Amino acid sequence: MAADDVSVDDKVKRTRDLLSSFYSQDASQISPPSNTTSRFATLDTINTTSFDADQYMNLLVHKSNLEGLLQRHVEMAAEIKNLDTDLQIMKNNIVGMEVNMEQLLDKIMSVQSKSDGVNTLLFEKREHIEKLHRTRNLLRKVQDCKKASEEVMLVIVNKLEDKVSSDSESIQARAEAVMLLKQLDFPVEKLESKLLEKLEQFLEELDLSKDTSSDSANPHESINEGIESDSIPPRPEVPTREFVEAVHAYHVIFPDSEQHLVKLMHDLTTRHFEAAKQQIQEQVSSAKLSNRLRFIWTDVLSIDEVLPEAGLQDFAYEAARDVLKQYVTSLFSYLLHEISDALLQIQKDGIGEEYPLRAALEASKNALIQGSTKVLSDIRYLLDEDLGLVLKLRDMIISWVQEGFQTFFTQLNGQLLLLSGKDVPTDKVSSGLVLVISQLSVFIERDAISRITEEIGSSLLGGSYEYGSSAFYISMRTQRISVLLRKRLTTPNWIKHKEPREVHMFVDLFLQELGAVGSEVKQILPQGLTRRHSRTESNGSTSSSRSNQLRDNRSNTNRARSQLLETHLAKLFKQKMEIFTKIEHTQESVVMTIVKRCLKSLQEFVRLHTFNRSGFQQIQLDMQYLRITLKDNAEDEAAVEFLLDEVIVAAAERCVDPSPLEPAILDRLVQAKLAKTMDQEPVAS
Amino acid sequence: MQGGSTGIGYGLKYQARCITDVKADSDHTSFLTATLSLKEENEVHLIRLSSGGTELVCEGESYEAAVWQIPELYGQSNSPQLECIASLDAHKSKIKCVLWWPSGRHDKLISIDEQNIFLWSLDSSKKSAQVQSQESVGMPHHLSGGAWDPHDVNIVASTTESSIHFWDLRTMKKTNSMEYSHVRSIDYDTKNKHMLVTAADESGINIWDLRMSKAPVAELPGHAHWTWAVRSNPEYEGLILSAGTDSTVNLWFASPSNDGKTSDSVSNSATKWTESLLHSYSDYEDSVYGLSWSSREPWLFASLSYDGRVVVESIKPHLPKTSSAML
Repeated sequence: MAADDVSVDDKVKRTRDLLSSFYSQDASQISPPSNTTSRFATLDTINTTSFDADQYMNLLVHKSNLEGLLQRHVEMAAEIKNLDTDLQIMKNNIVGMEVNMEQLLDKIMSVQSKSDGVNTLLFEKREHIEKLHRTRNLLRKVQDCKKASEEVMLVIVNKLEDKVSSDSESIQARAEAVMLLKQLDFPVEKLESKLLEKLEQFLEELDLSKDTSSDSANPHESINEGIESDSIPPRPEVPTREFVEAVHAYHVIFPDSEQHLVKLMHDLTTRHFEAAKQQIQEQVSSAKLSNRLRFIWTDVLSIDEVLPEAGLQDFAYEAARDVLKQYVTSLFSYLLHEISDALLQIQKDGIGEEYPLRAALEASKNALIQGSTKVLSDIRYLLDEDLGLVLKLRDMIISWVQEGFQTFFTQLNGQLLLLSGKDVPTDKVSSGLVLVISQLSVFIERDAISRITEEIGSSLLGGSYEYGSSAFYISMRTQRISVLLRKRLTTPNWIKHKEPREVHMFVDLFLQELGAVGSEVKQILPQGLTRRHSRTESNGSTSSSRSNQLRDNRSNTNRARSQLLETHLAKLFKQKMEIFTKIEHTQESVVMTIVKRCLKSLQEFVRLHTFNRSGFQQIQLDMQYLRITLKDNAEDEAAVEFLLDEVIVAAAERCVDPSPLEPAILDRLVQAKLAKTMDQEPVAS
Repeated sequence: MQGGSTGIGYGLKYQARCITDVKADSDHTSFLTATLSLKEENEVHLIRLSSGGTELVCEGESYEAAVWQIPELYGQSNSPQLECIASLDAHKSKIKCVLWWPSGRHDKLISIDEQNIFLWSLDSSKKSAQVQSQESVGMPHHLSGGAWDPHDVNIVASTTESSIHFWDLRTMKKTNSMEYSHVRSIDYDTKNKHMLVTAADESGINIWDLRMSKAPVAELPGHAHWTWAVRSNPEYEGLILSAGTDSTVNLWFASPSNDGKTSDSVSNSATKWTESLLHSYSDYEDSVYGLSWSSREPWLFASLSYDGRVVVESIKPHLPKTSSAML
């Protein structure tokens, strides 16, 4: 090892020496090219750049002898070997150095990338810091502003305080001031009670001016200009808005003043309604009443917006209920009064008129009809005004009116009995009066009630009512027609009927009645939209496919049994026809219901009789005629067709020999009847 | 309102209008019904509710109209013939109805035709019926039906187009009358002595107190068209069934609101009646004409529609809760 070390050290030393000599000779190589002419001089030219091997060899041969040459040769070979190994060593070193350099480069690269990363991270923070720095500068500036604004606020608060506590300001302005104070974080609680007191006072003063019907004194504090001025429909709303805003403000600011405010509002509303009641007692017209109610309602609504906890709407409803009920009762009692007055006229001036009784009768009849019409139109007006207050109570009002009429008539009855002196010795009461009263009662019973009911139906119950007077009207009309039908079917002896010559005249009467109904309902009822009624609206049905059998001309008695079985089976599959549908308050519905019920009655009547062939054919002919003429009236054509078929089927079942008329004959007779009807009536437009 | 059928059904072959309950049969719930076809032979069916209460079985058929005796049935039987006892042949005009004494044995029966009321005495051993007395109702009137007062064997009510007359059978004279038009059906209330239920074509059902016969004490709306028959329940107060031409049977409950008063005290006109529709049976294809409560099981009733379908239903599921204590 030591030898190796020595050799290694030697090698290193040699390398160093060589390198130094190479480099130092390099430095001194600059000059030699300039004097290359002296190349022949030395053997050191081997180390020069302009070495020429041939020239060197020549020189060497000239200069030295053979031993010298051989020695030189050996020396040169050894030197060449040494140089070679040195070069090799250097080359290895350089390779190693290259590797090292590469490693170094890698490391440097990684270091550089890391430092870039760090730089970027630090970049953000740096920016942030710069921003903060700028903000800090700005804040310094703001602080300066704030100081200035605070001073301003102090000034404002002072001014507002003054405003609030001054009595000369209006409620609204004061409320605004309080709101603003609250926003400025001023402790306003201590002002609360004071302000509420002020509000209460204001409201009380409000009401006082309402109750007085004369002209208002202070325009600042009055709300309505007096009850007579209903020619100025829109009342001044400004004062209302004022205290509404005040209420709103107080509600927002003083949360625990709610109770107080609610109480105030309730009192206010109560007073409103009291005033209304007062009006009613003074026989106010419905226009004025509705105005007042409208006014109350707008107030209520606006207060309700700001103070929902007061439940003012419900409260108002309750109060309105009482008021309206009172109104309705007052209307009726007034009417009653008028009628009794009219009747008592007899006793007062018996001699002046020629026909005192008749006059009194007419007067009382007129009073009754006109009075009730007026009642209805008043109520109608009230309902039409479309007041929110009234709308909700609409149904109740309508039922009150109906009840009212009932009690009115009972009371009228009692009154009439009283006047006619049933329990009182008769010499006090003139017989004429009794006669008039009895006639009046007859009139009431016969005409007035139906007319009034019709009027109720038309004026009050628009559309939304299901039963009630339209049902009553329908049943009245149907009863009249069914009397006609009953007579038609019970009079002839069907079992011995003659051949049908023409359509029976009962159809004329029937159609006449329907025409009367049609014109009446056209006057009164609204027209409905034609729509197909749905199954869910019916409450009764019959199903029949027996009518199919009738088309078959071979109605053999032997087949009757099997036919009946077939019909039972067929019934299972045929859709049920809905006959009895909901009655609606429209022209078509009323007419349709009457037609259907009459046809059904006809069927029932037919079932109670037994027919011979001609009788059956007569029925068939009549139904065919009706089929054609009822088409115009019928909204629900299918039902009418069905019912007509049912009548024919019922007659067939009750007929000993149900062979129908030939279609040709049927048509001929029907056409004949139609022509005859056309001749009798001029063609109407 | 076409709900599922809940009743037990039975079909007659032809159209039919009349059904009645066999009161004397205490072992079974049975009904008697008959057809009225024009051209076929009509039949009388005795139908019985099976012991499980699930089906109606026909126990007997026969033909023609007269007085029948229902034979005793021993064990199984396959449509025995009903024997004809006697026929009522004194009638000149159409017979409107025949009334049996509503409860118990009685050897008299009443038949009403368009003009007259006949009182017959029946002798089942001799198989004959004799007219005991008869009375005509007077020219302008046509009788249409009647009912025997279950509380008084001597009183019969008859209906004409414009009124209801009450007859005393001992003298055959009209004792009372109520003006009311087009009454189709009339039924006495077996529980309350003075109550009467009527059904009229257009006006629906009215309940009358005979002590104050000026106006009905209660009115029920009836049906969408005519109300054909009305029957009050023989056992439970206030339950009324009505059958109408709108193919429904309605069950009503009507009673005076103040329960404290006894039925003998004269209720003043201020007594309000509460009435309510408990249920409407609508599973019929045609007008319902016949209606009868079963006297053996008074929560069952039989109804007959024109197409010959008999349906026996129970009212139990539809009773209001307060009166379920009745059962």
